[in-house]
Amino acid sequence: MSIGRRSIATATARLSVLVAALSVPAFTGVWELVARSGIVNTVLFPPPSTVAVAVLEWIRSGQFFADLMASLARVAGGFAIGAAGGIVLGILTGRFRLVSSLLSPLFHILRPIPPIAFVPIVILWFGLSETGKLFLVVWGVFFTVWLATHIGVQKVDRGLIRAAQMLGTPQPQMLWEIVLLGALPYITVGLRTAVSISFYTLVAAELAGAFAGIVYRIEIAQQNMQTGQVMGGLAALGLLSFVADRSFAILAERTVWWR
Amino acid sequence: MTPSLLRPDQPLRLVDTYPPSAPARQAIIRVEDLSIVFDAPSGQVIAVDRVSLAVAQGEFVSIVGPSGCGKSTLLNAMAGLEQPFEGQVLMAGEAMLAPRSEIGMVFQQPHLFPWKSVRRNIAHGPRALGKPKAEALRIADDLIEMIGLTRFASAYPHTLSGGMQQRVAIARALANQPSVLLMDEPFGALDAQTRAVMQDNLLELRERINATIVFVTHDIDEAILLSDRVLIMSAGPGRILKDLQVSLPRPRSSAIVAEAACLALKRDCLDLIRSEGRRAFEQMEIKT
Ligand SMILES: Nc1ncnc2c1ncn2[C@@H]1O[C@H](COP(=O)(O)OP(=O)(O)O)[C@@H](O)[C@H]1O
Ligand SMILES: [Mg+2]
Repeated sequence: MSIGRRSIATATARLSVLVAALSVPAFTGVWELVARSGIVNTVLFPPPSTVAVAVLEWIRSGQFFADLMASLARVAGGFAIGAAGGIVLGILTGRFRLVSSLLSPLFHILRPIPPIAFVPIVILWFGLSETGKLFLVVWGVFFTVWLATHIGVQKVDRGLIRAAQMLGTPQPQMLWEIVLLGALPYITVGLRTAVSISFYTLVAAELAGAFAGIVYRIEIAQQNMQTGQVMGGLAALGLLSFVADRSFAILAERTVWWR
Repeated sequence: MTPSLLRPDQPLRLVDTYPPSAPARQAIIRVEDLSIVFDAPSGQVIAVDRVSLAVAQGEFVSIVGPSGCGKSTLLNAMAGLEQPFEGQVLMAGEAMLAPRSEIGMVFQQPHLFPWKSVRRNIAHGPRALGKPKAEALRIADDLIEMIGLTRFASAYPHTLSGGMQQRVAIARALANQPSVLLMDEPFGALDAQTRAVMQDNLLELRERINATIVFVTHDIDEAILLSDRVLIMSAGPGRILKDLQVSLPRPRSSAIVAEAACLALKRDCLDLIRSEGRRAFEQMEIKT
C-alpha cells in the first residue's frame, strides 16, 4: 500500500515537472491561436510570432544593444552609487548615536515617498539629462539599503565588538571590518530588495523622457502603434530584471562566505 | 592511581584577608570603592556595590558568586568595557577609561569572528596592533600548536566544537601577550569532561606564561583548583564577602578536587557563602 502511495507521489512529481516545462509554450500557443482566430484585434493584441519578428528586427537594427546598454548603465550606476551611500551612512547612523540623531529623522521622512513621485521635480532640476535618471535610481536604492544597514549594524553581536575592542582594533577597522561584516547578512537582504526597486525607478526615469533605453523604446513603439515591439520590450525588461535578481541571489549566497 | 598532589605535611589554610590589609605587594590591578549602576526599564540596578580589591603581579584570583551578582560587570570594568559610577579601576596605576591591548579578555561565549579562520582570528590582535602580517601569522601558528588545533588552522569557527572554539578564544587573547588575562566563566558552557581538560590546560598554561589572571566562575571547585586567592561575592547588589587564600601546592591538576583536604576547603567556602548569604537575605528582608 505504501509502495503504491509512493509511486503515485513519484508520478505526480514527474507530471508537475512536465507541466512546468510546458507552461510557457502552452500559454504562447494559446495566445497565438486566439490572436489568429480573429476574435481579437491583432493590432492591439498581436500574436507571439509578430512579437518575435519585432524583437528580431529590434536586435538586427542594432538599437536593441544601444537600448540595453543605456538602461543597464542607469540601473547599474544608480544601484552602485545608492548602495554604497546607503551602506556607508547606515554604518555611521547605526554605530554613532549623534549621527543617527542628525540623519535618521530626515531619512525616515523621505524614505516612504515613492521615488516615482520625484519625477516632476527631477525634470525641473535636471531636465532630461542622464543625471536626473541616475538620481531617481539612486534615490530609490539608497533608502532601502540605508535602513537595512542601519538595522543590521544594531544587530551586530555586541560580544564581537567587545572582543575586537579588547584586541586593540582601531576604529576604522572596527567599522569597515567588524561592523560591516557583522551586519552583512542584513545588508545583502536590503541590497536584493534594492535590485527590484532600481528597475521600478528605471521605468519612471525613462518614461519621464529619454533618448535611448528599453522603456524609452516601449514608449516610442506605443506612439507608433507598434504593439509587437511594445510587448517585445516588456519581455526584454522582464527577462533583464529576472536575470539581475537571480544573479544577485546567487552572489548574495556567496557574500556571507562563512555560513 | 595518580599520586596525590597534596603533600600531607603542608596543612591547608583558609585565611580571611578581606578587607585587603596592607597595600598588597605590587598590586597590578586595584579596584577602589567601585560601584556600577545600570539604567534598567524598572529603574536603576546596582550591579556592583562599593567593591575594593587588589591583585598582585602574577597572582591567579578567582571571583565566585551566584549568577547575576555582578561578576561580569566587575570584570568588564577591569577591562575598561564598563565605566564606574563611583570609585575607580587602576591598572598598573592608571585609571581604566577604555579597553587596553595589554589586557586580554576571554568571555563566557567564544565570540570568535565568524568570517575569519582560526588562524586569522588569532592573528587579529597582533595585526590590529600593527604587527606585519607574516609576524602575526607566525604568532598565531605558535598558539595554534599550543592549543593543539594545528589541523584546524584554516577552519572557520562554526565548524568547531564549543571546547575548540573556547581554546581559540583563549589563544586569541594570548596573541597580544597580555600582562593581565581576564576570564569570564570561560568554561561555563562546556560539558564536564571538556571542562576538566580545559582546567588542566589552563593550569599548565599558567606555568608557562607570566600573566596575572582574574577568573570569574560560579563553580567553587574550579576556583579552588585554579587560584591563589578566591573572592566570594554576594548576590545583588554585588559586594565581596570574603577574600580567601588557597594555599594548595602547585603544580595542581583537576584530580585534586576529589581529595579530602580539598573537599574540606570547599565545605568551608560553602559554609561561608551560606551564612553570609543568609545574613544578606535577612538584611534584605528587614529593609523591605
Ligand atoms: N547592560 C545592562 N543593563 C542593565 N542591567 C544589567 C546590564 N548588565 C548587567 N545588568 C544587571 O546587573 C546585574 C549583574 O549582572 P552580571 O554582572 O552579568 O552578573 P553575573 O556575571 O554575576 O551573572 C544583574 O542584575 C544584571 O541584570
Ligand atoms: Mg556573567
